Amino acid sequence: MAGLFDQRLLVVSGKGGVGKSTIAAALALESLRRGKRTLVCEVNADERVSGLLGHKPVGPEVGRLELNLWAVDIRPPDALKEYALLRIHSERVYRLVFENRFVRYFLRFLPALQELVMLGKVTFHLQEKLPDGRPRFDLVIVDAPATGHAISFLSVPQVLLDTVPPGPLSDETRIMRDLITNPSITQAVLVSLPEEMPVNETLDLHRALAEKVKLKTGAVILNQMLPRRFAEEDLAALTPAPHALAVARAQSARAALSEDARARLATLAAPVLEVPRLSVDPFDRQAIEQVRAALAPRLEEQ
Amino acid sequence: MNALSQAIAQRRVLVCVGAGGVGKTTVAATLALLSAVEGKRSLVCTIDPARRLANSLGLKELGNEESPIPPKLLEEAGLPPRAEVRAMMLDIKKSWDETIGRFAPPEARERILQNRYYQTLSTTLAGSQEYIALDKLWQLRHQRDYQMIVLDTPPTTHALDFLDAPNRILDFLDNDAARWLLLPALKASKVGFKLFSFGGNFAAKTLSRLTGTQLLADLADFMFAISGMYAGFNERAKGVRDMLASSETSFVLVTTPSAQRLAETVRFHALLRENRMDVAAVVVNRVHPPVPEEARAEASSQPPALKAKLEQTFLEAAALAAHDRAAIASLTKQVSPTPLVEVPRFDLDVHDVMGLAKLGGHLLGRAVRSA
Repeated sequence: MAGLFDQRLLVVSGKGGVGKSTIAAALALESLRRGKRTLVCEVNADERVSGLLGHKPVGPEVGRLELNLWAVDIRPPDALKEYALLRIHSERVYRLVFENRFVRYFLRFLPALQELVMLGKVTFHLQEKLPDGRPRFDLVIVDAPATGHAISFLSVPQVLLDTVPPGPLSDETRIMRDLITNPSITQAVLVSLPEEMPVNETLDLHRALAEKVKLKTGAVILNQMLPRRFAEEDLAALTPAPHALAVARAQSARAALSEDARARLATLAAPVLEVPRLSVDPFDRQAIEQVRAALAPRLEEQ
Repeated sequence: MNALSQAIAQRRVLVCVGAGGVGKTTVAATLALLSAVEGKRSLVCTIDPARRLANSLGLKELGNEESPIPPKLLEEAGLPPRAEVRAMMLDIKKSWDETIGRFAPPEARERILQNRYYQTLSTTLAGSQEYIALDKLWQLRHQRDYQMIVLDTPPTTHALDFLDAPNRILDFLDNDAARWLLLPALKASKVGFKLFSFGGNFAAKTLSRLTGTQLLADLADFMFAISGMYAGFNERAKGVRDMLASSETSFVLVTTPSAQRLAETVRFHALLRENRMDVAAVVVNRVHPPVPEEARAEASSQPPALKAKLEQTFLEAAALAAHDRAAIASLTKQVSPTPLVEVPRFDLDVHDVMGLAKLGGHLLGRAVRSA
C-alpha cells in the first residue's frame, strides 16, 4: 500500500480545536526529513503553521520558510484576483472589472466562488512545474477548515459541475475534481481528540469524505492521548488518601476516554496514528518536533 | 448573588455567544433550567443538532418546535422547576423558508425558493445563520409569553459576523449597485436575459465571460423577485437591533481558558461593548483546577512506585492549571469590569441532567441543592 508521503496532496481536517495546524506542521517537518520540496497551504485562517514552525507569517503569496519548505496563506480576495488575472492578463482590466461595485456584490454572493478560487489555488500549485519538468512541490499539505466547512470546501467542484452550465468555469472545475478524488494523488488526514464529540465528528467526516467528496482518508491522527497510569490495585491502595485518589481517578477517567476513542476509531478503514499529550509550554517548533517524532514510527509502517 | 443569577432574575433574553467547542450549548440549556427553578417560564433555543443534550433533557431529539422538558427529571436532579421550561432546535433552512413565506407575495414565493441565490442566502452566506437566529429570537420574544429566552448562537470566531448579520442580509436584499445594473436589464427583456441587456457595461460583460450569462440572469431574477420584501426585512432588522440593545437583554460570552481563544474572546467582548450591548458575564468553561495540597501530602506517604505515578500526574495537572490561571488573569484585566464566572473542567463530559445541575451550581457561584 502506498503511504501518506507517496501522495502529492494531503488535506488535514477535523473538529475545531483538535490540533489541525499542529499536525499539518508536524507532517511538514516529516516531509522535510524525507527531502521533499514541501508547500503548506493555510486556507482562510489566521496563519498558524508558519508561526508554529518558528517563522514569520508569509501572507497571500507563496514564500520560502527554509530549505525545501514553502508556505502560503490562501485568502479569497487574493485567490480570486490571481484566478482572474490568469485569464484576463491585464491588471488594468482587472481593476476596471473587479473593483466595480456591482461585480464585487455579485462575487460575494456567487455560490461557492470563494471556496472554488481557494481550492483552485491549491490545485494550481500542485500542478506547477520546474523548468526541468519535475513538479515545483513534491508534496502540498493543506491545513483545511474544520469539519462542516471542510466538506463544503472540498465538494465545491462536484457541486459546481452539477449546477453550472458548461463553459470555461466547468472545464477547470473538472480538473480540480479529478485531482482531489484520485486516491494516488490526494488523501485526507483527519485529526481527532480522545473525547466523545471530536470522535463522533471524525466518524461523520470520514463517511462524508468517502461518500460525498469521494476523497480517501489516508490516516486518522488521534491527538493528545493519555496512557492509563494507575492500575486497579493502585486505586485500591489510595482508599485512605481521598485527595490523591481523586487526582488518580481523574487521570484514569481521561485515560479511559483515550481507550474509548481508540476502540471507536479502530472501526475505520484508515490507520489510526496516536500522538501522546505533551505538557509543553510554549507550544513551539520543539514541541512540533516532538509530535513529528511520535508520529514517525507509525508513518514508516504506512 | 453573582452576575448570572442577577441576569436570570432581571432579564428576559440571554444570548450566549462564543467560538465552537467551548460548551456554549450546554451553558445555554443550563441557564434556561436555572431560570425555571427561579419561577420564570423559560425556553432554550439551540442551533447545534445537540442530540445528547436533548437526551439529557429527557427528549428524544430537539426539533423546530418548542418541546416541554419533563419536570420530574429536573426534580430528580435537584432542579425543581417552578415554571415550565421548553427546548427547541432552530432549523436554519426551514426558518428561512418560513420567513420568505411571510414576506414574499405568493406568486414570487416558488421562484425565490428555487433560485440558486436563495440557496446561498439560506445556507452558506456569511451571517445567514446568525440573521435567522436573531429573527427567530425576535418572533419568540414578541409572539410568545416566555419570561426568559436563552438563545444559543452559531459558533462564531468573528464577532462581527454576528452583530453585522442583519446589515449584511439587508445589503444582499437591496444593493443599489446590483439593482441599478440588473433591474433595467431584466425589465427590458423579460423573455430572454442576454448579454446585450447590459448595454455598455464593460464590467458586467467581462464578468459574464468568466461565469456565463446564466448566473447573472439568475441573480437578476432573484433581485426582481425579492424587490418587494425589503421593507419587511428592514423593519424586522431594526426590531432585532432594538431588542439586543434593550435593558431586557444581556449577552453571555462563553469561552475556554486556552491561549488561542483568549484574543478572540477579548475582541468579541470589546465589540459587544462598543455596540452598547450588555455583557452579563464571561463564562470561562473547563478550567483545570490546581492540585490540592492535601493530595500532595497524601502522596508523600505512598510506596515509591505509586508516589512516582502520582507526582507525574501532579506535574501535568499543575502545568495545565498554571496555564489556565495566567489566561484567566489576563482575561480578567482585559474585559474589566465585566465579571468572569469560572467553571472547572469535569472529569467527564456533561451528558445527563445531573451534569447540567452541577454546571448550574458553578454558573451561579454556589452549589445547587442535589438530590
